[in-house]
Amino acid sequence: MTALTIDNIGKKYGDVETLKGIDIALEPGEFLVLLGSSGCGKSTLLNIIAGLLEATSGDIRIGDRSILGVHPKDRDIAMVFQSYALYPNLTVHRNIGFGLEMRKVPAATRDKAVRDAAKLLQIENLLDRKPGQLSGGQRQRVAIGRALVRDPKVFLFDEPLSNLDAKLRMEMRTELKRLHQMMKTTVVYVTHDQIEAMTLASRIAVMRNGRIEQLGTPEAIYNRPETLYVATFVGAPPINLLNVTKVADGLHLDGTEIVLPLTAGTAATIAEGRKLVAGIRPESLKLGQDAVTLPVLCEVVELTGPELVVTGYVGQQKLIATLAANSRASAGALLSLSVAPDALHLFDPETERRIN
Amino acid sequence: MSGTWLTTRAWLLMLPLLIVMIAVIGWPMMDTVRLSFTDSKLVGTQGSFVGLDNYVRMLSSTNFTRTLVTTLWFALISVTAEMVIGVLAALLLNQEFYGRTVLRALMILPWALPTIVNATLWRLIYNPEYGALNAALTQIGLLDAYRSWLGEPATAMIALIAADCWKNFPLVALIALAALQAVPRDIVSASLVDGANAWNRFRYVVLPYLAGPLVVALVLRTIEAFKVFDIIWVMTRGGPANSTRTLSILVYQEAFSFQRAGSGASLALIVTLMVTLLAIAYGTVVKKFAGSAA
Ligand SMILES: Nc1ncnc2c1ncn2[C@@H]1O[C@H](COP(=O)(O)OP(=O)(O)OP(=O)(O)O)[C@@H](O)[C@H]1O
Ligand SMILES: [Mg+2]
Repeated sequence: MTALTIDNIGKKYGDVETLKGIDIALEPGEFLVLLGSSGCGKSTLLNIIAGLLEATSGDIRIGDRSILGVHPKDRDIAMVFQSYALYPNLTVHRNIGFGLEMRKVPAATRDKAVRDAAKLLQIENLLDRKPGQLSGGQRQRVAIGRALVRDPKVFLFDEPLSNLDAKLRMEMRTELKRLHQMMKTTVVYVTHDQIEAMTLASRIAVMRNGRIEQLGTPEAIYNRPETLYVATFVGAPPINLLNVTKVADGLHLDGTEIVLPLTAGTAATIAEGRKLVAGIRPESLKLGQDAVTLPVLCEVVELTGPELVVTGYVGQQKLIATLAANSRASAGALLSLSVAPDALHLFDPETERRIN
Repeated sequence: MSGTWLTTRAWLLMLPLLIVMIAVIGWPMMDTVRLSFTDSKLVGTQGSFVGLDNYVRMLSSTNFTRTLVTTLWFALISVTAEMVIGVLAALLLNQEFYGRTVLRALMILPWALPTIVNATLWRLIYNPEYGALNAALTQIGLLDAYRSWLGEPATAMIALIAADCWKNFPLVALIALAALQAVPRDIVSASLVDGANAWNRFRYVVLPYLAGPLVVALVLRTIEAFKVFDIIWVMTRGGPANSTRTLSILVYQEAFSFQRAGSGASLALIVTLMVTLLAIAYGTVVKKFAGSAA
């Protein structure tokens, strides 16, 4: 049985279609991340699931029950907001217990639930404070606590970590992962941070202009991006895109004499003379002794600590490679980099879809 | 070092304003204080020093006590009504509906009109011979015969308060509406998911953001209501039978109608002192409430 079904959901503001036929089915315990750039409709979708917005078309089910038209409080969901959204003049204790209080849960039961959640989130010592007396990280813990005590069927998170500084964000990310492994509740999580998406998700839905561009596991999204957009959206430094043309024995790199080898299976499926875009992840490039190497003229070399990021040109086309930190490379040098044939992501430049 | 320079500069910058203030407020005030210790008439003789006589006579007169009570009543009822009506209007105008923008603009009108215009308008409405109120009430059968709303002690005060409310609720509504728009959407959403009903949503989500601005509105309105003069002067002149005579009216009568400048001045100072105390008391409360939802 699915935990949450999003069935052909559409949303229009006037004539503008913000969401176009979104379909997602989640198994119980899944952690779905909605990933996309600003304005692609992530929050809109989340708010429709929460019941804070009405869909223009389509259906949403939790279990087998359609929740269209059901009041947010009766949907068995809990939500965590980017701005924390704590009640300003209630203590942390009452903030966390507010949902239970409104549902007339007896005070003793409520208190226990609040204390359990506080313990889990390590905020027991803050229970008597007001939100104004908390740091950003502490506020977000309280907001998460408020969702936890409700023990809902589905958790909804709208960019919960984006107001935190980098270090805290990483800590809270791990914290969320730990909580999810423990509670195993279904989660829908909105972010435009690809690291958050990759680390937290059991599946990622990459959204673009109100559509799902690709829905898949983090591995699939990263290793087999279905479209150019997904390929470029995920990965830092971003994937290299090279214009190539299919020739008899491989891919001819436009503007050079270089022909990259292809795997036999792939080569057979592509017509000769066809123009393509070849995607190469920066870490797929190795300082190589292979038969075919790309001569890369280094322009900038940056040591990030664990690795060396080299930006340069092959022919007229820009290329970024991440090499081992101890690699020998310096600005102005000519490097020979190679790439394994199965590390190539090939896209049709017209449809922008993957073809291998 | 820079601290003292900053302080000096601040005073220098304020100096022109201070001079004007001293000229138009400070000096007349001093003169009023001087007058209040004399038995000066408005015109004619200089008057002689009488010590605290004026104060004692004013404070112990039944006129003063009666007027003080009338003033407090007026302030209490009209301010309470304005706050309630203002907040309700703001809540209404914060909903989304067709024509909201027009209604928001229209609502400010009573407050934007000069008090004199407003007061004259209400005199027409209350007119015993051709007033709209009389006409409306008789036509729907609530009233047998036309009444003189402003001419009977029993109704004059209520009629005045209604007119004052009409004029001043928009100010409260405006302040409340601005505060309502500052309520974060996310907290409203959170309260919906948490299952708060309308009352709890008002209490825990809206009120924290409304309280500070409302206290400011309350302070403004109370002080103004305590000093009220123009609307009453135009509509009833404190009558009938002094039933709508407030402190400011009494000061005016004493100083100008009865031409007793000395005792008028002492009364004016007593009222000033009361308003100052009111302002200080409220200042403390405002400080406490300001940023209550920070
Ligand atoms: N009330 C509204 N009326 C009209 N258009 C709206 C409304 N609310 C949102 N939109 C539009 O819908 C689109 C999607 O908005 P949404 O808030 O879902 O984006 P998002 O993916 O959450 O972006 P972000 O990452 O910035 O939060 C945006 O282009 C936005 O302009
Ligand atoms: Mg958003």
